[in-house]
Amino acid sequence: MKITWNWLGEYVDLTGLTPEQVAEDLTSAGIPVEKMASMNSGVDGVVVGLIESVTPHPQADRLRVCKIDTGTTKLQIVTGATNVQAGQKVPVALVGAKLPEKHIELANFRGLSSEGMLCSASELGLDDKFLPKDQAEGIWIFPEDAPLGENVVEYLGLNDMVMELELTPNRSDCLSFRGVAYEVAALYSREVHMPDADASGVATAGDKPLSVRIDTELCTGYSGQVVTHLVLGPSPMWMQMRLLAVGMRPINNLVDITNYVMFEWGQPLHAFDYDAILNQEIVVRQAKDREILRTLDSQDRELTSDVIVISDHKKGLGLAGVMGGENSEVTGSTTTVVIESAMFDPMTTRRTSRRLQLRSEAALRFEKGLDPDAVLPALHRASALMVQYAGGELVGAPVITGKDLISPRVMQQIHVRTARVADVLGYVLAIEELEGFCHQLGLPVVREEAGLRVSIPARRPDLIREEDMIEEFARLAGFDRIPSTNLEGVLSHGGLSKTQKLRRMARDYMRNQGFDEVWTYSFVDGEVHRKLNIADDHELARPMRLLNPLSEDREALRTTMLVPLLDVAKYNASRQWDSLFVFELGTVFLPAAPNGDKGMVAPVEKKVLAGVAYGSVAKEPLYAGRNYDFFDIKGLVEGLFERLGIKDIVNFERMAYPYLHAGRSAEILVGGNPIGKLGQVRKEVAKTFDLAAEVYYFEVEMDALVQMVSSHMYVAELPRHPQVERDLAVVVNRTLSVANLFSTVKAAAGSLLESVSVFDVYTGNHVSDEEKSVALRLVFRAPDRTLTENEVQTAVDQVLSQLNSNYGAVLRK
Amino acid sequence: MREQLLVLQEQALVDLAEAQGDALDAWRVKYLGKKGELSLALRSMSKLSAEERPVVGQVANTVRETLEAAYANKFADWEAKQAAIQEEKETLDITIPGRTSGVGAEHPLQKIIRRIEDIFIGFGFTVEEGPEVEWDYYNFEALNLPKDHPARDMQDTFYLSEELLMRTHTSPVQARTLEKRRPEWPIRIIVPGRVYRRDDDDATHSHAFTQVEGLVVGKGVRMSDLKGILLTFAKELFGENQEIRLRPSFFPFTEPSAEMDIRCIYCGGEGCSTCKHTGWIEVLGCGMVHPRVLEMGGYDPEEVTGFAFGMGVERIAMLLYKIEDIRQFYQNDLRLLKQFASLPE
Repeated sequence: MKITWNWLGEYVDLTGLTPEQVAEDLTSAGIPVEKMASMNSGVDGVVVGLIESVTPHPQADRLRVCKIDTGTTKLQIVTGATNVQAGQKVPVALVGAKLPEKHIELANFRGLSSEGMLCSASELGLDDKFLPKDQAEGIWIFPEDAPLGENVVEYLGLNDMVMELELTPNRSDCLSFRGVAYEVAALYSREVHMPDADASGVATAGDKPLSVRIDTELCTGYSGQVVTHLVLGPSPMWMQMRLLAVGMRPINNLVDITNYVMFEWGQPLHAFDYDAILNQEIVVRQAKDREILRTLDSQDRELTSDVIVISDHKKGLGLAGVMGGENSEVTGSTTTVVIESAMFDPMTTRRTSRRLQLRSEAALRFEKGLDPDAVLPALHRASALMVQYAGGELVGAPVITGKDLISPRVMQQIHVRTARVADVLGYVLAIEELEGFCHQLGLPVVREEAGLRVSIPARRPDLIREEDMIEEFARLAGFDRIPSTNLEGVLSHGGLSKTQKLRRMARDYMRNQGFDEVWTYSFVDGEVHRKLNIADDHELARPMRLLNPLSEDREALRTTMLVPLLDVAKYNASRQWDSLFVFELGTVFLPAAPNGDKGMVAPVEKKVLAGVAYGSVAKEPLYAGRNYDFFDIKGLVEGLFERLGIKDIVNFERMAYPYLHAGRSAEILVGGNPIGKLGQVRKEVAKTFDLAAEVYYFEVEMDALVQMVSSHMYVAELPRHPQVERDLAVVVNRTLSVANLFSTVKAAAGSLLESVSVFDVYTGNHVSDEEKSVALRLVFRAPDRTLTENEVQTAVDQVLSQLNSNYGAVLRK
Repeated sequence: MREQLLVLQEQALVDLAEAQGDALDAWRVKYLGKKGELSLALRSMSKLSAEERPVVGQVANTVRETLEAAYANKFADWEAKQAAIQEEKETLDITIPGRTSGVGAEHPLQKIIRRIEDIFIGFGFTVEEGPEVEWDYYNFEALNLPKDHPARDMQDTFYLSEELLMRTHTSPVQARTLEKRRPEWPIRIIVPGRVYRRDDDDATHSHAFTQVEGLVVGKGVRMSDLKGILLTFAKELFGENQEIRLRPSFFPFTEPSAEMDIRCIYCGGEGCSTCKHTGWIEVLGCGMVHPRVLEMGGYDPEEVTGFAFGMGVERIAMLLYKIEDIRQFYQNDLRLLKQFASLPE
């Protein structure tokens, strides 16, 4: 909402105040003034002049020579403009005048002197997009009644400030000068004076040349006034300039008057051509389904039954509160109009204006809800202005109907307890002060037992309950008066939940392993699974989709972290990063099974720790030589489980995934439950992300781990007797897994075995192509004695014999 | 005999001074060995008289001790010299960078969230979370934003169905927490999380961003408590001398509502382009929990009151780290991220 300082001054006395101060005070009272600018962007020494004659320049085809009368002197001015004619009044910049981007001096054009300059609107620093095209491109032609010789700063009212208010949705009452005037009045304890329209010749009796029937509950009040003998023309310059200043394009006197009154009272008005109304009866009704109405902008609109239409018996005349119909538009031949001032259902007008994408100043006010107390004053005010500025004559009394306008209204009452004010705000405001605030706000107030009873006029629909009044008091007192105190009462124990601690631990662990943390978007291309070689019917290929995405790239909710992480890898690989290790602890969204007739079901949201790595393990090129491989990423994941104290219940099982290397991928099981996967990203998949290197990926569902992780541990007793080590190199089939060897060793060795580990895996010339040699280190220990050579040898023999019978394993020679 | 021994000692010391390396060992054998000169000399002691023998014996011992000490000294010197030579050979260029698996960087938004969490945990708050795909009811209706409420315009929403949407703020967790905890109080929670608005991405808008919400409900909770806790929070996050101011504002789920400004952290309030020459920067919205929200959550607003606040994590990170484009948080350019491996708290 834009306002100008001088216009505001018509409704509230601003004596002794400056625009800067009011802007600051409004801002701290919750009506932020976003911008403030002078309407005069540097014009001085420009007056209204009359063109007495226009003659061609004898030496130049494109120039004209104008004789100008400024009222006090006669000037010769050479111009290049083509839209000038004798008898026009124009802005004349005198020698010495200042324009926003020019300084005017005596000039000479091909032998003829020019004593000044004729100006366009943009040369005066004004927005010319509101002017007719010929005037926007050439000299600004003033109306005939422009006073000769008057300074244009005065004439155009440029000594004014425009303020732009950033209104919160609850303060739609400030979408009018009246509302802002009440707000300013409240801040400085002044009075609001709205123009007394009733006294301006509105007929109160006489035959009504119009009847109105309301056929829908969506219209709660309708008033209309017939005005005749109208002469269509431009509105007065001051009115045009004010409308321009608040962002409204001046059109003609009738339209401008309805808009001017809308800004003044916050009540949108509409003028119909009276002669277009069949039988002089207006019917307010809901549209028929598929009813067609051609609106002012010459578009045929197909309507539905939830649209309110202004019509006569035969045809629609306009979309209530949104846009008039072409058939009832006010044109040059219109002499009689109906001014409409009405109340329509806010939600309905909001839906209609949204659906038809007609977001006008009027629609904006309708959808926020109107003040029934402003409907008739606005009608009267517009009627009076049409008499004054459009030669109009009122015909009969206004038609007034609808429950909001006919039935007497009872003001809403709010009971405010002074103790509650102190309880909510944390400091005491005396009852006298609270009463004073009510007076400043123009709210009738009486004292009652526990505090005040405040009456709320319809112009403040945002004031509904006690808390609303407490806010009014707090902001008028100034939020600065609220002290800073400490919470009282029960102590509470703060902290993170076990799940949250676990996530922090995992993040810290990843960073300590040298992984950088990334944050990626949750939305992905809905067809991205194809890049991952995932079939269309796979669970991951059926993401939840947005109904209203901004782009195809971000139309679906990610089902895996792999896509965003490969995008991160791609982005950085293209910026010369030879190696990369990143992780994210993010959310994936897996569609839940539909729930019968209950409609769509919320997806399962899982927190997943996932990472990708490629390139050299060492960070310094000096130590480079080994690239990231499967066992680095496996070790990373094992380390995480060790950190979480659950390493012993973790297994890795070979598993095929469409996007991971068939021979280098594994499912991660914790306590037998699958909670993640890891492996090398298939080369073809990596290629679709422009990644040439071997890329490794892992993911672990974090929240699934919580139950597995214990909150407490005891230390194991330290061994008292020495351990005995035995190294065995066994030759086995190449496909036999080390895990199988381990489990056989553990089963066969008996209770003396403390641990088994692998320290070499050999394939090559010394074994056959189908075989490999695996070197195992067995550690034996007894808790109560030093082992004898015999005991150990017996265990080793059992191991060898079992390995041989299970896998045909033999000791390597 | 005595003179003979002293001459021997002198000669030995002269020889020792010149001995190096293997010669040192040879010297030891020559003078102090079992068949060395000193031993030979002592063997001739038997020819001495009974009176002379103890005297000469004493001289001989002194000579032995002197030579042994001299040798030990010399040997230690030599060893030290040898060690020095060896170390000289093994000398490294210590300016060559060390071997490391690197220090991973914390994402700037994560860093801010962690700091905020820790501050409020210190105030006795717990951390709550909620789903990012949310029901219309929790995102809007339970927060006093019924269908067709004009304030819904403030937040353009991504929908998955008529009733399911991407949450536009972390505030639905307020409603969920009230529902879950009723009728118990006090409630003191903060809620970090990702939220979504249907905005085209540009330098200051992002379709996804991060908020931290706060909610306190209990007996006798006052707006002055809100101000007190926010002031302490601002000092912890932005510096000991930070000031705050509250300005009236509007949120459907709080009443009274306020915006919290901090003194511009760049100009200290003098006025600069960051604070648009006002000296203040808006960082957070807050207010007293609207009685309707308490009622819908199952609490009696006459019995308990509460306050709530919400802040944009990106905005705070942009201020604190001088990041000028919000998209950079989600671009994951390592050149930017790696700087957060070492940035101080």
